[in-house]
Amino acid sequence: MSHAKYSVINTHVHNIDGVAKVTGRATYTFDVKLPGMLHGKILRSPHPHAKIINIDTTRAMDLPGVKIVVTGKDTLGIKQGIWRRYEELCDEQVLPLEKVRYIGEPVAAVAAITEEIAEAALDLIDVEYEVLPAVYEPLEAIKKEAPTIHEGVERNVNVTRHIEWGDVDEAFEEADYIREDWFKCSGQAHMCMETRAAVSNFTPEGKLTCWASTQSAYYTQGLLAGVLGLREGDVRVLAPYVGGGFGGKFELDAAMFCSAVMSMKLFKPVKVVFTREEDFIASKRRTPMFYYVRTGVKKDGTFCARESRMFSNGGAYTGMGATALYLSGFFHSFPYKWRGYRYDGYRVYTNTLPSTSMRGFGAPQAMFCSEQQIDWICADLGLDPFEVRRKNGHTEGYEVPGQAFIASCGLEQCINEIEKWVKSKGKLPANRGIGISSCGFMSGGIFNWFDSPYSFSSAVVTINVDGTVELHVGCQDIGQGSNTTMAIIAAETLGVKVEDIRVHSGDTAHCPADLGAWGSRQTLMAGNAVKMACEDAKKQLLEFAYAEMGINIVYDLDIKDRWVHIVARPERGMKYEDLVKKALRAKDGQRIMGRGYYTPHRKGMISPAYSYMMQAVDAEIDPETGRIKIHEVMTAHDCGQPINQLGLIGQLEGAASMALGYAYLEDMPMEDGKLMNPNLVDYKVIRAPEMPEAGIIEIDTYEPEGPYGAKEAGEGLTNPTAAALGNAVYHAMGIQMKELPITPERILKALREKKEQEAQK
Amino acid sequence: MINDFHYLKPASVKEALAMYAEHDDCKVICGGQSLLIVMRQGMVAPEYLLDIKGLKELNYIRFDEKDGLRIGATTTHREIEKSDVIGKRYPVLVAMEEKLASIQTRNWGTIGGNLAHADPAGDPGPVLIALKAEIKFGSSNGEKTVPLDEFFVDYFETQMEHGDLVLEVHIPTPAPKFGCAYQKFNLLDSEMGIVAAAASVTLNADGTCADARVVLGNAGPTPLRVTKIEDLLKGKKLDDKLFAEAGKIASEEAQPVADIHASEEHRRHVLGVLTKRMLKKAFEQAQKA
Amino acid sequence: MEKQVLRFKVNGDEYEVFIHPKTLLAEVIRDHLGLTGTKRGCETVSCGACTVNVNGFSVKSCSVLAIQCQDMEVTTVEGLEQHGKLSPIQRSFLDHGSYQCGFCTPGMLMSATAFLNEAKNPTKDQIKESIEGNICRCTGYNSIVRAIEAVTQGKYKEE
Repeated sequence: MSHAKYSVINTHVHNIDGVAKVTGRATYTFDVKLPGMLHGKILRSPHPHAKIINIDTTRAMDLPGVKIVVTGKDTLGIKQGIWRRYEELCDEQVLPLEKVRYIGEPVAAVAAITEEIAEAALDLIDVEYEVLPAVYEPLEAIKKEAPTIHEGVERNVNVTRHIEWGDVDEAFEEADYIREDWFKCSGQAHMCMETRAAVSNFTPEGKLTCWASTQSAYYTQGLLAGVLGLREGDVRVLAPYVGGGFGGKFELDAAMFCSAVMSMKLFKPVKVVFTREEDFIASKRRTPMFYYVRTGVKKDGTFCARESRMFSNGGAYTGMGATALYLSGFFHSFPYKWRGYRYDGYRVYTNTLPSTSMRGFGAPQAMFCSEQQIDWICADLGLDPFEVRRKNGHTEGYEVPGQAFIASCGLEQCINEIEKWVKSKGKLPANRGIGISSCGFMSGGIFNWFDSPYSFSSAVVTINVDGTVELHVGCQDIGQGSNTTMAIIAAETLGVKVEDIRVHSGDTAHCPADLGAWGSRQTLMAGNAVKMACEDAKKQLLEFAYAEMGINIVYDLDIKDRWVHIVARPERGMKYEDLVKKALRAKDGQRIMGRGYYTPHRKGMISPAYSYMMQAVDAEIDPETGRIKIHEVMTAHDCGQPINQLGLIGQLEGAASMALGYAYLEDMPMEDGKLMNPNLVDYKVIRAPEMPEAGIIEIDTYEPEGPYGAKEAGEGLTNPTAAALGNAVYHAMGIQMKELPITPERILKALREKKEQEAQK
Repeated sequence: MINDFHYLKPASVKEALAMYAEHDDCKVICGGQSLLIVMRQGMVAPEYLLDIKGLKELNYIRFDEKDGLRIGATTTHREIEKSDVIGKRYPVLVAMEEKLASIQTRNWGTIGGNLAHADPAGDPGPVLIALKAEIKFGSSNGEKTVPLDEFFVDYFETQMEHGDLVLEVHIPTPAPKFGCAYQKFNLLDSEMGIVAAAASVTLNADGTCADARVVLGNAGPTPLRVTKIEDLLKGKKLDDKLFAEAGKIASEEAQPVADIHASEEHRRHVLGVLTKRMLKKAFEQAQKA
Repeated sequence: MEKQVLRFKVNGDEYEVFIHPKTLLAEVIRDHLGLTGTKRGCETVSCGACTVNVNGFSVKSCSVLAIQCQDMEVTTVEGLEQHGKLSPIQRSFLDHGSYQCGFCTPGMLMSATAFLNEAKNPTKDQIKESIEGNICRCTGYNSIVRAIEAVTQGKYKEE
């Protein structure tokens, strides 16, 4: 598609929040300060599994400056979860009444006049526990003799998910070669720069206002209302600037809940901010997964069947983990055509911090296993990894049986581009290799486990007398730039400039409901709602323009760059500002207002549209120390029509840094359920010197379901990297890395084993 | 949260020493880049905090061809990194400083504070010992100068007693055919080494090894000087075989402790590799000198 | 334990605050002066979100006792702009999309500002090292490096 026809889309547009962010004006929940505000702190369990026998708060209450101490007994005791449609999956009391299930679980909360006093009071709360036997790994927890973490949940199996299509057994019989491998994928901390934070203010009118660092103000509103016994409409959630989310901030967290509970008892604002350590030990993580993968192919590389079993470490509660279980299994098939595919996923409760969604939503783990195994199969059979991926890859018009319809797909071009790039590098020096990995991702989920009666996305646009535009959206900007993306779509649709648009978001009192920022849903879903709202408003303007300009109705009218004109004769027209003023008078002063919404229908089980990509990672390994140096990352990417040029590059580079971290640096090791690196000294986040160049080759496609042909961009880019690095190590050193992260020590161990095997031969 | 303390701000070294002698439960802060972290964790909670950051008397870098290099205790890492004379005569110090934590830390943190903290994973210790540095410290009762490798006695412990302040680091002028190299093994460029090794080599006119030092970082309770390697190399014509042998000795002599970042075995192995590499690098520098 | 008077300049203005000596510079800036542009993201002097400049040098304000800044000049992100006119690095950040969630941005800008004051024709690696004390979880740093590089190339000279 030609980009030239757009005047705003895919042009160089500054982020509309940019000036606020580079001048320090942007205020986050972390910065919110209200008159009379108290500071809250949370007491957390030191035990991975224990009965709460008694909590004595007397000594803490006696400390001068302490205003309240609350425990589970001071709450309604409602078990909550974001899968609110399924009662059995609502399994978490934020302040538990009977027992704690992981180290770091909240037990009590204090509000005091200063943070310091609140913290001191925590030491004065006496909790009597009866320590219970605990279990930390899913393959242990699923055993018959393992301790029960949730009453009535057999073998600690929290959720299972079966995905199957085709005749899998028959397809395996057709295979000339079958390979099976086990993989272990680690957890990862979201590590948002802004830790979990909330300020709750309950007033005598019976209304609660909560500032929260959230990915969905609407979810927070619904969840808070549920646990507090309030009407949704009496809870107003404000999400000002949000310091990152990455999938970790749309469930109810203890900052929101505890601040609200205490504020409701005190009728005073209460602020709770997690320390970095709390954020590590008790704010959920990427789901650790064990994968068994069995794949059958023909001699020529045609994929026949795949059968996989996955056991995930769910931690103590469900949260978003159930969705990750499904998506991991679905994207494990991606982006290939399988005659037979079978996946059995088991999410197992353990006495560790709950795992949940994180950028990529189960797919990075699935791809780490799948894309490495494909390279190994190619090596086993002497096949070309590009050719095999091309041969089996999704194509436009393909239907994943019973699951998804692929309306746009640039996978083959992605593979071709990366193949060209890799070949242009020529022969590499010793100990250096390039690995590839392809994948795809969804553009928003077709899931409504939250049981929202609202549309998935909504937008309201209002045009002021001078032509400026108020755009109200429910989608949440958490730094990914959705406010800017929505402003671009609105400006393009209305024919005005980005600076004419003021975006209102992150306030449930003024913005329409929207499921928020997760699963790469906003560009497609909220974008469609914005486009529809703006088309609605524009139609009203143009109706008047026909009359005002007195033109033949066979002509088409349009607005571009604030100029209302006949499409065929662009010089004939009028100023947009004049039109708005006149249209207002003509409508008896009613403002021009447009409404839009989007809810997916007849789009399969997963998502309305899928992005595709192939990525190459160029890495060098020190054969003596095992240290990895990443030289470059290159990605060919089909996200349909790019909307926000700068934003897209930022998403790509940001995803690469996070995914490289997952691949070789970041880990969450535990001992007896205790996280061993709950700080930024021991938890390794990639820094500027480690970050390689990360280029992008845009593949031009058009997604019919997306606004202006756009689809997912940003989250899916986290998926291919760990596998591509694994393949780079494989091609450089001849070793197969089946465990994440790929550490120097694991590399040296694999090299030693390889040497021993060769010696045996 | 940091516990409350009385704040002492001396105007001179003399006053500082007097104040320190006077107060039993007293800790010294200079840049505080390490101290404040442990104070925030409540692990250190002194009644008095003696702030010597502002002592200009101790902020200097002096070089004299005969006497060598003298660095005052309150000199910041960044001042060392940016010093022309150090860059010219002791490039390994600059290279070490450039990889010591972040610029922000180097801007505020000081060499004296770093050495007094005595973290065996600290970067300056091994390099300075390889450079044969000595350290001057003193109290109101007098001053004392000791070789730096004797200064460190255990994890976070030095020869200094209550009342002692680090005053100066002294590094002799390098011999004509001298080379020194340092490298740490870590996952992120700027973080502390999982392990580290510094090596220096002095050559005789005939090219044989006059003197050598290997000092391992984070391989025991203090920076670990491996004298066995010195004995091995002295008087010999150095080559790859010897460097490999030295590496093997370093692996054996090290006393690293495993943690989540690496096993003991891996640490020993990497210490061997670094020793071999740094000796070779120092040797090549000495040859070119 | 007795409070002390801290006199210092912040963004060109003289301040006098009465503080416990244990008060961190970051706390004075945010809580006493209300300059919330400076952020905090850890307790281990790791993330750099609290970076400010003291006498022109970048420091992590969570690792500095405020009282140690007696008579010194502190610049925070709020001090980069002059009467609504953004500084070169601020403008370059806008052009290069060098921020996403924006939480690390003030600290990043202060590190970059201190670096730009002293760097002459820096290499790309030096630019990367100039911000290695600052964590950004969103951008992958490259856009920040490009922004700093553009300023060093003279593309944002003050008119």
